[in-house]
Amino acid sequence: MRTVDLFDNYLAGNLEGSDLLAFEQRLENDSTFKKAFQEHRLLLDLLTEHNDKNSLKNKLNQIHSVHFGKEAKIISINNSEKLTKRLGKTFAVAASAAVVAVVVTIALLSTGGYLLKKQKSEITDLKREVDGLKYYQDAIVQKLKTKGTKTNVVDANLEGTGFAINNDGYVLTSWHMVNGADSIFIENSNTERTQTKIIFNDPSLDIAVLKIENANVSENWQIPYTFFPKTIDVGDNVFTLGYPRRDVVYGEGSLSSQSGYYNDTAMYQISIPVNPGNSGGPLLDVYGNVIGVIRGKISTAEGTGFAIKSREIIKSFTTIDGDSATIDFASPKRNGLKNLKRSEQLKRITPYVFNVMVYKSN
Amino acid sequence: MIKPKPKLTDSDFIEGLRNGDEIALSALYKKYYNLVLKFVVSNNGSSDAAQDVYQETIIVLYEKCKDPGFVLNCQLQTYIYSVARNLWLKQLKKHGSVTGLKDFHVDVLEEASGDVKSHLKKEEEIEKVMQSLSQLGEPCATLLKDFYVNKMSMDDISEKFGYTNSDNAKNQKYKCLQRLKRLFFNNFTLID
Repeated sequence: MRTVDLFDNYLAGNLEGSDLLAFEQRLENDSTFKKAFQEHRLLLDLLTEHNDKNSLKNKLNQIHSVHFGKEAKIISINNSEKLTKRLGKTFAVAASAAVVAVVVTIALLSTGGYLLKKQKSEITDLKREVDGLKYYQDAIVQKLKTKGTKTNVVDANLEGTGFAINNDGYVLTSWHMVNGADSIFIENSNTERTQTKIIFNDPSLDIAVLKIENANVSENWQIPYTFFPKTIDVGDNVFTLGYPRRDVVYGEGSLSSQSGYYNDTAMYQISIPVNPGNSGGPLLDVYGNVIGVIRGKISTAEGTGFAIKSREIIKSFTTIDGDSATIDFASPKRNGLKNLKRSEQLKRITPYVFNVMVYKSN
Repeated sequence: MIKPKPKLTDSDFIEGLRNGDEIALSALYKKYYNLVLKFVVSNNGSSDAAQDVYQETIIVLYEKCKDPGFVLNCQLQTYIYSVARNLWLKQLKKHGSVTGLKDFHVDVLEEASGDVKSHLKKEEEIEKVMQSLSQLGEPCATLLKDFYVNKMSMDDISEKFGYTNSDNAKNQKYKCLQRLKRLFFNNFTLID
């Protein structure tokens, strides 16, 4: 065996017993051997370190482009300072987001949401809106308390889509929509407006899981679709249901690419014309398997949508180490949608796709 | 079952960096970006420069976290601010003198300059390895990376590069590594 192989074996932890002992003794007694080993290890450490740092850099760039936009530009930093002082701490977040204007090339598909992107001249208006919102929101809560019935008093300042992932009242949606929310309601034609809270989020994938607070709402849920961990092929037919407006809207197309924006392999590119409000909707294959979640589109190109792969979402749910928390997906023994025609599939899926209404007040 | 997500503490972030926890990384990145952005932009930097400085700061922290004995003896915010400040000052000094520096954080940690120094030295060394590797050419560079970084087996490597058997591949790897050492070390210790 060459000495280099001996080094490699030692570093890989493959030396045992008397071999290991002999190796360690030689390190101690033979200074040339020791020096050669140290050089060997230094070189290989540097190689590995280069690799580690590169992958960390890639992750950081990805996080950056999700949260601060690839081309975030500064309009005026002084302005944000003044605002911070005048409006207090909580407002500072909104102010800096507005002042550090975001020129995001990937549009996030929630309706509204322009609030934070307004430019300098409109910043003063922001606070009034925020105050107004707070008032309306209290009104809504009051209404819900007294009547407990459907109310359309106020439009939410952000709306999008979400869908059930199990029979316990868990609803998956987009993180960019619910991030910083004061209150989040969901509703559809089968379910009256009901309040939810965020119980999980993964900003790197832009997903969040909401839980319906009132357990009675999901009492009789029987989700018809399965969450599909495998990827499907380019050219395969796909469809989605979402709430670009108050009523549910169906969209279909095909899988255009196995990777998304910036060659992100956590996403698919799809040819479904998605619109603001589609964010957080399920992406299904012809058999009614959920294969992804609608994320966004390129603002400059029509008919180009992106969806986060189910596979990545499942992975994200199972790697929450903090509390070793896991979120269970409903997995019906049989996919009841497989042999149905599309309109029948939609009838069964629609009750589990929700209009998500987000109220933010800071 | 699921508990509501707790607020991450400084030690959660450090633990997260150590374990490659992407949720913690993302949360950390978001938490202090604006602080560093504000500092760099207020001191003659662009937002692109701020992004670079901030990411390098996270990498310095990552390097420190990899040392199991590393204990943070100040607030994480102070550490990050101090490292970023140090990195940016070095950039500014390259282009001339620094006057009227605007600060946005009260505490500045003196130790940070040492950490930045050893980080830059490390970066230089890595750069040198990468240069040596590119001088080495193909298939040596890829072969070494496959074996040492991607941890591919000799059998897989021999198949990938079309060697007749894994002993041949092993021989090739040996020669490549010796050449790399010759390029990298001025006086490399030859032992075989």
